[in-house]
Amino acid sequence: MILVIGDTNDITTNIAMEWIRHYTKDVKRINFSGYTPLNSLKITNQTCTSKIACIDTSKVEKIWHRRGSMRFLPSTLRNTTSSLYTYLKKEEDSLLKSLEDILGETKEYIGSYHKEVENYKIDYLLKAKDCGIRIPDTLITTSKKELQSFFNAYDQIITKDIRYGIKIKAQDSGMYSAGTFVVSEDMITSMKEHFAPTLVQEKIDKKYEIRVFFFKTTLYPMAILSQNDTKTSVDYRNYNREKPNRNVPVLLPKHIEQKVLNFIKRSRLSTGSIDLIVDRSDDYIFLEVNPQGQLDWVSKHCNYYIEKNIAEYLVFK
Amino acid sequence: MKVEQETPFKLIANCIPVKGAKRSSICDLHRGSIQLIPNDLYELIKKHEGNTIIEIKKEYNHKYDTVIDEYFEFLIEHEFIFFTATPELFPKMSMEWQSPNEITNAIIDIGRSYKYDIFKVLDGLTNMNCKHVELRFFRKIDFDEIETTVKHLNTIKSSVLSIDFTIPFSKDFDKKKVQDLMYNFPRVSSFRFYSAPEKKFIPPIDNKRGYIIYSNQVLKNVKCCGLIDPGLFSVNIKTFTESLKHNSCLNGKISIDIDGNIKNCPSMKKSFGHIDKNTFEEVLENKNYKEYWSINKNQIETCKDCEFRYICTDCRAYVETPKNTFSKPLKCGYDPYENTWEDWDKNPLKQEAINYYGLEPTESIS
Repeated sequence: MILVIGDTNDITTNIAMEWIRHYTKDVKRINFSGYTPLNSLKITNQTCTSKIACIDTSKVEKIWHRRGSMRFLPSTLRNTTSSLYTYLKKEEDSLLKSLEDILGETKEYIGSYHKEVENYKIDYLLKAKDCGIRIPDTLITTSKKELQSFFNAYDQIITKDIRYGIKIKAQDSGMYSAGTFVVSEDMITSMKEHFAPTLVQEKIDKKYEIRVFFFKTTLYPMAILSQNDTKTSVDYRNYNREKPNRNVPVLLPKHIEQKVLNFIKRSRLSTGSIDLIVDRSDDYIFLEVNPQGQLDWVSKHCNYYIEKNIAEYLVFK
Repeated sequence: MKVEQETPFKLIANCIPVKGAKRSSICDLHRGSIQLIPNDLYELIKKHEGNTIIEIKKEYNHKYDTVIDEYFEFLIEHEFIFFTATPELFPKMSMEWQSPNEITNAIIDIGRSYKYDIFKVLDGLTNMNCKHVELRFFRKIDFDEIETTVKHLNTIKSSVLSIDFTIPFSKDFDKKKVQDLMYNFPRVSSFRFYSAPEKKFIPPIDNKRGYIIYSNQVLKNVKCCGLIDPGLFSVNIKTFTESLKHNSCLNGKISIDIDGNIKNCPSMKKSFGHIDKNTFEEVLENKNYKEYWSINKNQIETCKDCEFRYICTDCRAYVETPKNTFSKPLKCGYDPYENTWEDWDKNPLKQEAINYYGLEPTESIS
């Protein structure tokens, strides 16, 4: 049996499910937005068995963890403002991570909740560097002096979050992440001597960006030609809706492809999405990896049929 | 972007030039638009993609430098091309088209002559994983009946993602009521009211909801269908790739006519079963059912020379030469050899076919 963990309105889960069902009836789907009853996770001195949403997991051969996670907290307990909920979620989080490890022991588990929530950019930068892929020079600091001297050393620098985009809701206002943006002299001047840990990187003068979705060892690279557009020249997520960036299929040069595959192996990632930049001198620079990265637009714009390929892997391989 | 004379140019992979008899088009499958170009430019792109502008000018002994510059300015303005020193890293897009489901869309006609169970039809379509349904009423219908039908789709957690209604106008369909319905049931993607007091288009209240069209034309029967019109062009990768090898109307389609007959399309003569006697699955087992599915625009007369052929709809029910399977759709007024549009029903050469099918010119809506 194949088990898919996705979400109700996730287009990728929906399309892939159609393909899976085209090939087999032996598939079950769990949605993040729903409640997943944990019937049992039973550990004795002889056995370790589990039953989730009435599925005997010993019958499951492959799990594709596309998005989100299972949610064992009944919806009546999901009161997002209570501290009890915060506590229960922490407990649930530990359980989810253990369960992922347990299931991964006996079956092929593709995708990961654990990797997604613990997606530490700094760790991955180092791993990419160790695999011989160029990375932008990076500084994480709480000191204005250090920040200023880093700023002085490069033409331009950018900043982005270390792990979490800002998303703070207050009573009458909110604070949301601007994604990646260029740091100006004025910004630095206005800062205090000491501040919360902040990540800055040299700004790469790019020719274009590449988004590489990968599933197992198959790479699906797509070029994002955004260099002509000031709106998106720093971060393509600052979309230009009238004239969206051109997205086209692209190939990675063999030596880069090998390094990317090494990186994936070293990071123990079974699927995800890697952001690369190609700079003016045709160097490939690693930016980050997203273990539950989007693939719908890559599949659609390049006509890659990624969802079909995933289904075929799950059913036939 | 600036013109780079000495860097090879590459076409954007999802912008695809299509050559016609007298001019060509570039189908921008990414942004959903189309631009017309001279055939000379088509040839230039085909022959020289991956070369530099300098090389191209030299190839023509600098006789056409000005024209070539103009061409490239046009291509850059629309961002159809980019310049790259590594053109070998930018492959063509795959032209594959695949669908996980045999049936993708359905037309259901409901009239006075025979009464069949619409719920049962929708259940059957959901079994087939059908995604798009058009329900056309050739009889009076009230709002409640529509609402119950739509609610039924929710009850059965239907596979149907979009449902379009064609309905004779009546006062019962208050605009607000219709809009609320489309708001509450996002899969209702449009209402077309015919025999309405006036022509009107009501755009969606938000971009995920449906629209309303009022038309003052009278629809008596299925003969209204099959119109070919630029307003029905569909410029995207799915339609384009599907059209390369399949029929852009009938592929993946199943229909029920007003008498309950299961057909490729309600306007076609051949019936493959009856809704009260056969299942859709049974009908699909009939080898002849899919006969038309693979008739594509490369095979259809006139269409095969048309620059719009992979973004256009088709019609096999009403064709110029009724005995010829590969004849051009009758209700197309475009002439790719002259690049002119005319009203199809005014063309004297089509009168014989118009009489053959018993069509009345006013019976078309788009």
